[in-house]
Amino acid sequence: MSTSNHPTFEKILRPHMDRLYRLAWRLTGRKAEAEDLFQELLIRAYGKLDDLVNIDAPGSWLSRVMYNLFIDEQRRFARRRMHTVEEGELSGDGLAGLPGADDPARDHEQWQRFERLAAALSQLSDDHRVIVLLHDTEGYKLDEIHVLMDIPVGTVKSRLHRARARLREILDKDGTFFEQGAC
Amino acid sequence: MQDDSEITALLKDYPMPAANAAYFDQALVRATHEGSRRQRNRWVMTGFGSAIAAGLALWLIGGFFLTAPNLPETDTPGVPGITMTLAEPQTVNFVFASNTPLVGATLTIMLPEGVELVGFPGQREISWQTSLTAGRNLLPLRLIALSPMGGEVMATLEHMDRARTFRVRVDVI
Repeated sequence: MSTSNHPTFEKILRPHMDRLYRLAWRLTGRKAEAEDLFQELLIRAYGKLDDLVNIDAPGSWLSRVMYNLFIDEQRRFARRRMHTVEEGELSGDGLAGLPGADDPARDHEQWQRFERLAAALSQLSDDHRVIVLLHDTEGYKLDEIHVLMDIPVGTVKSRLHRARARLREILDKDGTFFEQGAC
Repeated sequence: MQDDSEITALLKDYPMPAANAAYFDQALVRATHEGSRRQRNRWVMTGFGSAIAAGLALWLIGGFFLTAPNLPETDTPGVPGITMTLAEPQTVNFVFASNTPLVGATLTIMLPEGVELVGFPGQREISWQTSLTAGRNLLPLRLIALSPMGGEVMATLEHMDRARTFRVRVDVI
């Protein structure tokens, strides 16, 4: 059953929604901002429905629009420095709201590593953070990132390399890996 | 660590919350409603621009409201106040309460002369789009007073054809 009042729109969008939501989350790093970005994309897409029905690969097109919305937002308002957050999320780091975050049965050590990773990621530039998350976490290919961000593949590769190196430097320094290593 | 294998393994498993099907359903419905509204507005504004803009101001009704708890009222009834120390950043939490989720709302902060938002030097008016959840939403604003004049900080929340403005009196010592 169609949930929106436009079944064509839903038919085009629905298969891509999970991947787009994940992209929004990886770009912004916070639930409220990810939902804003995701919603704005859908609204823009609805306004371009006549074009959208004729696009062969709507997923790529939608991803590109979302990325551009994200960049526009960053440029206009430097929004990450000032955001609306739900109560209880004021000190949140993006992992706090995950199911099982407070589950004592969860692998506490692994969770701590993720928290350190989140802190390390926050120290990267937006470009480096986005590239490393899309490639190493979401499994985007270099060529997909090249299309999404409109930068040469060689630049994607070099930024990925530098982002990993910087993460390694931060995480080695705070002992994230040494604690796990075989001593 | 000798190579990137550990770090890529950690990144590969880096979690994020999954959105559920109900959220996607709601997002689709909101998109069609808001998308239609923007299309209508674009058409209307093209044809009747200024006349409609003036008419919108008459439709400021309730439905969402703004509060700032724990701030003492000033001499002006209903206007809470804070006291800042010159040149010392201070965080002021604005609470936006809404009985329904507000998607695509516009929030505008207007600052008096001599009070700035940290990170936005020289900007007296800052505006951006955001969404509010049902219930209370907190907006921490990090302010700094650069002169002893003080004044009023105004936060205006606009959603569709509704708007509310909240004022906070800033005194500087």
